Amino acid sequence: MATVWRSQYAFARFFVGKTVRILNNASDLGARLKPESISIPLSRKYSNYAASPFVSKIQEQYEFEIVKNPPEWGYVERFLPLETVPQIKPKESYPSGWIAPKEEAKNLPYYIARNKNHQIPIYLEIGYRGQRKITKIKRIEGDIWLMNDLIKKYLKNKCNRYVETRVHEMGKFIDVKGDYVNILIDWAHAQGF
Amino acid sequence: MSSALINAIKRLNISVLPQIRFCSSTANQSSAINVINNEFSVTKKEWKFPPSYTKPREVWIENLDTIEEKKVGLFELHPLVYAAAPRIDIIHKNVTWQKKYRWVSWAHTKTRAEVRGGGKKPWPQKGLGRARHGSIRSPLWRGGGVAHGPRSGKTHFYMLDIYSRLHGLTSTLSAKFAQDDLHVVRDLELPTDESEYLIELIEKRNWGPSVLLVDDTDYAPRNITVATDSLQYVNIMPVYGLNVYSMLKHDTLILTQAAAEKIEERILHHLNSTKVVSKFKLSQV
Repeated sequence: MATVWRSQYAFARFFVGKTVRILNNASDLGARLKPESISIPLSRKYSNYAASPFVSKIQEQYEFEIVKNPPEWGYVERFLPLETVPQIKPKESYPSGWIAPKEEAKNLPYYIARNKNHQIPIYLEIGYRGQRKITKIKRIEGDIWLMNDLIKKYLKNKCNRYVETRVHEMGKFIDVKGDYVNILIDWAHAQGF
Repeated sequence: MSSALINAIKRLNISVLPQIRFCSSTANQSSAINVINNEFSVTKKEWKFPPSYTKPREVWIENLDTIEEKKVGLFELHPLVYAAAPRIDIIHKNVTWQKKYRWVSWAHTKTRAEVRGGGKKPWPQKGLGRARHGSIRSPLWRGGGVAHGPRSGKTHFYMLDIYSRLHGLTSTLSAKFAQDDLHVVRDLELPTDESEYLIELIEKRNWGPSVLLVDDTDYAPRNITVATDSLQYVNIMPVYGLNVYSMLKHDTLILTQAAAEKIEERILHHLNSTKVVSKFKLSQV
């Protein structure tokens, strides 16, 4: 503070004794200048930094009080980003076309858990400059091998061709060779995941 | 109402008893009697992010104030944290990271410029029938400088992404829990501050040679700090210090009930957080 004060000193003398209100962005950083706080001798050398006076009296420009949990804070909270995606509110239908997971799917021996955005974790992975497309089903719980057999059978009936899959039991995912994302998401919705 | 409770306790008893490790048959009987006669609290938990398909895991709450193991309650653990698939590749990734980020290599060699001498051309370029050389400290020479050798003060710091770090923690906790190396105790209060008590307790309960105690506070009770002070294989750690390397280094992991809850809460928070964590940059403040 003292450093700032000193550097502003040359200009501060113009304010001394004036009754004009100092604006918010005044150069004195909120400390109100008072005539008695600065005494300017006539033979002042403004180039001499070491001889400049220290700041003695600093008064707050604004009076304020600190309040914990004011009622207005609720309006601020509305603008704060949510920490997590909120829990699902059960409805008849959702305008976006999003489908809620069904409770009876939990009785199946296998399960695809929704991710933290409540979406089904089935993704398309493109590799080798678009040459290889792999549909990845993640977050599989329960009997992953049974689910693998069912998916293979379902895709063979649906697409009239054999599809290759790869099961990673410890990583809880199945890779299906080819782009079957929409078919598999529809299948997962039909199962109730 | 009471009959339902008794039935529930009986069922719990039957389902959980085979998992418990006992030193002898007499201990087996006494513990079983303890469970039936003494009242103990079965804590059913309401999670902010309840498990969708996998069932919660149950764990006994044990005590530390007697050498003989007493079960003071039953406790539920979230399967996403304590029953995840133990990915040893991700555990290894974490251990490698933890070893590397603190490693500064001080190996050092001198270049041809730093080796003393070698300023003069050893012999003329032409006319002697010998190979042309400009300095006796060239890397080709014996006693010369080293080309592309190690230079000291090389850091191996890097930051593993937060998802791998979280996955490493859940994998290690789950592996410890599945191997019966994770125990939950009510608190870390000991009756004495003698380390013999703790040694005997660890021996009696068949806890591993090395034990890591985790509490959710920075300050452990005085008795246990004094007792573990001379034991190099028993260490105390706060929740925020829990890491994959230490969990693997110690054979048995002892969590207090509060610590287990806190770990669960923090990991679940990060698993479900929408905050996008950008890649760590060295230049970041």
